Amino acid sequence: MMEQVFFYATLIVMVAGFISVLRIMLGPSVPDRVVGVDTLNTLVVAAMILLGAAYDRTIYIDIAIVYALLSYIGTLAVARYLQGGLS
Amino acid sequence: MGVIVRTGARATIPLIGIFGAYIVAHGHLTPGGGFQGGATIAGAGILFLLAFGLSEMKRHFNKNLYSALEGIGGLAFLGAAMLGIGTAFFYNVLWHNGPFFNGKPGTLLSAGYLPIMNLAVGLKVFTGLVSAMVGLALYRRWRK
Repeated sequence: MMEQVFFYATLIVMVAGFISVLRIMLGPSVPDRVVGVDTLNTLVVAAMILLGAAYDRTIYIDIAIVYALLSYIGTLAVARYLQGGLS
Repeated sequence: MGVIVRTGARATIPLIGIFGAYIVAHGHLTPGGGFQGGATIAGAGILFLLAFGLSEMKRHFNKNLYSALEGIGGLAFLGAAMLGIGTAFFYNVLWHNGPFFNGKPGTLLSAGYLPIMNLAVGLKVFTGLVSAMVGLALYRRWRK
């Protein structure tokens, strides 16, 4: 019974993720798409934690932590490139 | 980059390194293992390069040390595989009748040579990825 709630919450997060994918596809400029990808990263982390609760596996939280750390590095790399690259 | 990114990187790089070391050390108990943990620690190196720039990375990066550590990682993997050569290649002699790494399954000090191999693969992947990334960043300037 409790697991149903987490699946419904994941569904809502997935709807928000599809909206941000829409922004990534439609975005007229590059920073729009970068912000869309950053939002999608955060939503994916939230969905991972909710699914970890839904399937009752504590181990799945580890993957969410790693994804949160590495998505930050990815966004930072794109931001650094848009600012003029390394050096 | 800016002062916010640099200060955030000072706090985040040890966090990523410790978490990558956790993934490598618990490779036989939780998801992950040598490659995933090594790639995570290499992410800390990429964050260092992005936040502090190429000149700072050049001062802290030692080509010979990283090259030697990558070779040592491969040799440690092969050495752990050679431990049970009396029976067969890759025979897990530490698990069957070894002095250590033969605890109850599910604890940290179990699974025979698997923790040693995870450490070796993690070291190799970390040094290899950081060396490749620094090599790409140093390659050439665009306009000169």
